[in-house]
Amino acid sequence: MNHTPADQPQPAPTADAPRNGYTINGKLYFAEPQPGQCLRTFLRERGVFGVKKGCDQGDCGACTVWLDGTPVHSCLMPAFRAAGREVTTVEGLAPPDGSLHPVQQAFLGAQAFQCSFCTAGMMMTCAALTDAQKEDMPQALKGNLCRCTGYRAIADAMHGRAEIAEDIAGEACGASVPSPLAHAIVTGEARYTMDVAMEGMLHLKVLRSPHAHARIRAIGRDRAMAVPGVAAIFTWEDVPRRLYSTATHEDHLVDPDDSYMLDNVVRFAGQRVAAVVAETEAAAEAACRLLEVEYEILPAVFDPVAAMAPGAPRIHDERGEERGNIYADIHGEIGSVAEGFASADAVHEMTYSTSRVQHVHLETHGSIAWQGEDGRVHIRTSTQAPFIAKQKLCHLFGLRPSDVHVFTERVGGGFGGKQEMISEDLCLLAALKTGRPVQWEFTREEQFIGATTRHQMTTRVKLGARRDGTLTAIELHVVSNTGAYGGHASETLGASLGGPMTAYRCPNKKAAGYAVYTNMVPGGGFRGYGSSQTAFAIECAIDELARLLGIDPFAMRRKNMILPGDWIESAWNDPSDVDFGSYGLDQCLDFVEGALAKGGGLPKPEGEEWAEGTGVALAMLECGPPTEHRSGAQMRLLPDGSYHLAVGSTEMGNGSITSHRQIAASLLSARADRIAIVNADTDLAPYDTGTFASTGTVVAGQAVRMAAEAMRDSILGFARRHTGADCRLDDNAVICGNERVGLAELYAIGTRAGHHFEAKRKSYLSLRSVAFNVQGIRLAVHRATGEIRILHSVHGADIGRLINPMQCRGQIEGSIAMGIGWALTEQMVYDAEGRMVNPALRNYRIPSYADVPPTEVFFADTYDRIGPLGAKSQGECAINPVAPAIANALADATGVRFPHLPLLPDRIFAKLAPHA
Amino acid sequence: MINFQYARPNEVADAVRQIAADPRARFIAGGTNLLDLMKSDVEQPSRLIDISRLPLKSVEETPDGGLRIGALVPNTDLAYHPLVESRYPLLASAIMAGASQQLRNMASTGGNLMQRTRCYYFYDIATPCNKREPGSGCSAIEGLNRMHAILGTSESCIAVYPSDMSIALAALEATVRVMGPGGERTMAFADFHRLPGDTPERDNNLEPNEIITAIELPPQGFAKNHSYLKIRDRLSYAFALVSVAAALEMDGEAVKEARLALGGVAHKPWRVEAAEAALAGQPANEASFAKAADIVLSGAKGFEHNAFKIDLARRAIIRTLTQAANGTPQSQSSKKIR
Ligand SMILES: Cc1cc2nc3c(=O)[nH]c(=O)nc-3n(C[C@H](O)[C@H](O)[C@H](O)COP(=O)(O)OP(=O)(O)OC[C@H]3O[C@@H](n4cnc5c(N)ncnc54)[C@H](O)[C@@H]3O)c2cc1C
Ligand code: SF4
Ligand code: FES
Ligand code: FES
Repeated sequence: MNHTPADQPQPAPTADAPRNGYTINGKLYFAEPQPGQCLRTFLRERGVFGVKKGCDQGDCGACTVWLDGTPVHSCLMPAFRAAGREVTTVEGLAPPDGSLHPVQQAFLGAQAFQCSFCTAGMMMTCAALTDAQKEDMPQALKGNLCRCTGYRAIADAMHGRAEIAEDIAGEACGASVPSPLAHAIVTGEARYTMDVAMEGMLHLKVLRSPHAHARIRAIGRDRAMAVPGVAAIFTWEDVPRRLYSTATHEDHLVDPDDSYMLDNVVRFAGQRVAAVVAETEAAAEAACRLLEVEYEILPAVFDPVAAMAPGAPRIHDERGEERGNIYADIHGEIGSVAEGFASADAVHEMTYSTSRVQHVHLETHGSIAWQGEDGRVHIRTSTQAPFIAKQKLCHLFGLRPSDVHVFTERVGGGFGGKQEMISEDLCLLAALKTGRPVQWEFTREEQFIGATTRHQMTTRVKLGARRDGTLTAIELHVVSNTGAYGGHASETLGASLGGPMTAYRCPNKKAAGYAVYTNMVPGGGFRGYGSSQTAFAIECAIDELARLLGIDPFAMRRKNMILPGDWIESAWNDPSDVDFGSYGLDQCLDFVEGALAKGGGLPKPEGEEWAEGTGVALAMLECGPPTEHRSGAQMRLLPDGSYHLAVGSTEMGNGSITSHRQIAASLLSARADRIAIVNADTDLAPYDTGTFASTGTVVAGQAVRMAAEAMRDSILGFARRHTGADCRLDDNAVICGNERVGLAELYAIGTRAGHHFEAKRKSYLSLRSVAFNVQGIRLAVHRATGEIRILHSVHGADIGRLINPMQCRGQIEGSIAMGIGWALTEQMVYDAEGRMVNPALRNYRIPSYADVPPTEVFFADTYDRIGPLGAKSQGECAINPVAPAIANALADATGVRFPHLPLLPDRIFAKLAPHA
Repeated sequence: MINFQYARPNEVADAVRQIAADPRARFIAGGTNLLDLMKSDVEQPSRLIDISRLPLKSVEETPDGGLRIGALVPNTDLAYHPLVESRYPLLASAIMAGASQQLRNMASTGGNLMQRTRCYYFYDIATPCNKREPGSGCSAIEGLNRMHAILGTSESCIAVYPSDMSIALAALEATVRVMGPGGERTMAFADFHRLPGDTPERDNNLEPNEIITAIELPPQGFAKNHSYLKIRDRLSYAFALVSVAAALEMDGEAVKEARLALGGVAHKPWRVEAAEAALAGQPANEASFAKAADIVLSGAKGFEHNAFKIDLARRAIIRTLTQAANGTPQSQSSKKIR
């Protein structure tokens, strides 16, 4: 790449060096794009980092900029096209006087973002809409995808609805205060992992296996090495031969150590074969293509049932013969299901299946590693678990923990996909070997073929009930396809046999689950974490059983759902550390039933070809994982009387930096913006297991609560000793008797007296509470063509006290949108050789604005006695009832049960009679 | 992506000269398809001839009362053009059913005609594909062919042509004006695109040394009774599984004249004049529409994963003709459902 950091706005060149002039946000640049370069990378090379990449193919809109005032996808615009024209990016949207553009103001007011990776592009599209186009947002926003918000907050912004609350001292908790980064987000200043230029940066690219199962006989590197600009090539022979799991958990023993950084056996199409680092991405890519790999093709197996059969190709042959490809199996029974079914008046038994899907966080995986002048290595990365990533890097490279620094900048979405260490290791390897900074950014295709996915599960459910609807037996048999590696396999399998079955009281329950290795892309953690898959099966089955008995689906659920005081159990007898910190399932169910009955949403489309139906499903979540999870928070009063808060947990759009600040602020009776927060940095913040398993509030938030309380006690204790009066905090001061002492003053006095205004606390998760979600759907299906339109969506959530109502609603709406995608449109399609054929956003379809209806969200009035300040977990469970509610509504509309996701038109229309 | 040279002619004749001189050169208009293909290494042009400065950007009425659309008119401008909205709403609707605002802002009329198939394998240079590499084989015939053609397929290729706009242009009987070294010629729309046969590498009958200069529409616009229905996996921003453009001239309750073109089912916009003829003079009811659908689909042949398209297309034809006859065209805005 021939640009230098000095590539700043420049005066016009003289005639003997004619170059093209580019006006970017009002500044003139003279530069020559590289041949074939698109405008997106050209802008980013000029430091215009507000231009993002979600796909690089015209599918997502994250790269939207204006060319002479007209929005275009800069990734599909040849850079030379912009010569002599005016380019405007998010950085140039605001008027020069320092105020905001109305659209920026509107996005800020409605907090129309979560991870905000889509926001710049979204605003650039919105800011160019005519009034007429604004009337039809689904059409106007066709070219901008958002994975986080479910689009409602974006719609609010465009309709001028502002929701942010004023930041009042002592009242932060429970108020919809904005993200501390809101201003940086809407102005495009917020920095993500890749938004940095470093002197001497090398670019890493990986060659991935075209074969699902093969042994690598040899890798010829000469031709690749000859590509100009190539600095190094790494194959399995160049990496530490140390086994590990890419999955991140507090307890590394829950995942099998079955992976090498680079291996001489590839077990899925898309697995890393070799890495190249070069001066430019293009050179690294070209070199990858020139690597000559000799593969010995091995027999492959993709179906987990086939993989369990004797004689099936072995995926990991170092494992014992008798276990074959079964990585984990779990069995349990309480009571006797045989007796339960014998006493049933009706029995429903059916096999349901859910598809493999990808997280599609809009920011792909990526990291940058370098050796610092301090002699340590630094890794800037997009992860949900920087501390565990650090441990794994230390393990792989034999480094001392004190020599490794892992941190995040803003993370553009995770949803479980970044609970995985899959980019940091190779960057660090290359940085150590070359002595230069190395960056690696996944392409969208790599995201599909080389990252993790939701485990595909097939669930056989058998339910029995008496005539009055009382359940007599529940039996589940789950086969989970974990793919080539077993990270998260046993944990998701455990979860699949947990919550969805626990949600129903029944004396006889039996569960059997198998997580099986195959030659597919590995499964991983994904919002809902195993329980989404079986919630689909069980919630569909409950409806089918209700239908057999002629009982209303709501009544059926009320009759059997778990109630406060019940013994909380799935299918095993061990006591658990879960308890009812609060209970609001009944309220949620009442709300959903009432809201569906009241109507609302869109009317059924005209014409008898459209059939209409309603459906409901519920879900239960145990807040936090059954395995260990730890977090820490640290607070300091600063000389100016404001606070510093450091939390280990990652903010990835889930809003934790906002809510953690609120928790601290309310305990310190301060305004939220008196607290500066740093997070997810192994140098600057205390240890945290990671932001996953819905722990951002119940574990990390708990640590913040304790640290803030300790901070408060430290300040008040000193103030009391100093003034001799009873004291209380009031924003930036303490009030002692009649006297008001500013915190800056108190700090000065205290520090002189040797007092430390500091606190650090750790939290650990046990006892765990329970949270609930109920989804109601009314939809129409076109009998002739199988199209499904969701007409009305209602959701009841029992998540305890809302620390930030607007954020809570956003998490729920985002989960619902994701659930809709899973149910209706998303599908990873594989050919007979196990290669994914649709690894692009145009062929793998996440919901667009038009696909997601607004949802009426209701929050149960509960206050949890276990979670911090009454709050419970909420990031994941809302997705669980969505797909089954849709499937139940479809069954209600058509009289036909479709037990396999996704419910694509071609899968369903053939079973529908064109006429009522 | 490989290195290439770049030229920016100001005149059509110059552009033609340049393309004729170098068989590996490509025109670039909006670039939304070409750049995408270059990123996947499907296209590796030696030279890009940027035609964005050619004077082909106007929409004008023709003496006979039709419309001439310059090859470089952006899709957005065309869809919102007052004469298109009022006289050829079927065309406006089809354009709005495709791509996104940003893409339509960049994409040109000529480029849209020329856009290449979205067959997965065509895009994946690691797999055999006769269209990309003649003689290498077709991965789709035995592979994942859910998106593929059911009509007019050949042993060498079963790809579909993905444009929405062209389906409406086919129904409206547009003509394509092209310029080559020997001067200008016109082609009926039906003759522009071609079936794969044993030369699937050729999408259409434009000669390699020719440029599209304009599309012409005849006066008859079917503004009253028309509909464009696109069935896809996601409500917006996805290519069609099946799409139908229907245009009717009504005579009371009966059909006087009918036009019917299908997208997503073949290597070109699919029109069967016998089906249109069969509708003429018939009552506008389901029985007539079903009969027409059967004629259209009479030769249809499904493959392992796309056989569903035959019945889906049949149902879609009936639904679209019904919408057209009732004067209730399918809205491309998903808030309003019809
Ligand atoms: C994500 C995405 C989604 C899309 N969705 C849809 C959709 O739903 N429906 C739909 O119909 N389309 C869709 N499109 C396609 C889009 O409409 C086309 O890419 C566009 O119309 C091509 O026009 P262009 O001017 O950008 O062509 P270019 O990319 O510039 O050119 C395409 C080809 O045409 C040739 N060419 C261009 N102009 C001429 C000319 N005047 N004479 C001769 N040859 C010429 C070029 O040499 C090149 O080979 C989508 C595209 C993308 C990227
Ligand atoms: S269908 Fe055509 S484009 Fe697709 S693989 Fe076969 S030959 Fe190539
Ligand atoms: S990055 Fe350009 S559209 Fe996705
Ligand atoms: S906020 Fe839109 S993708 Fe994350």
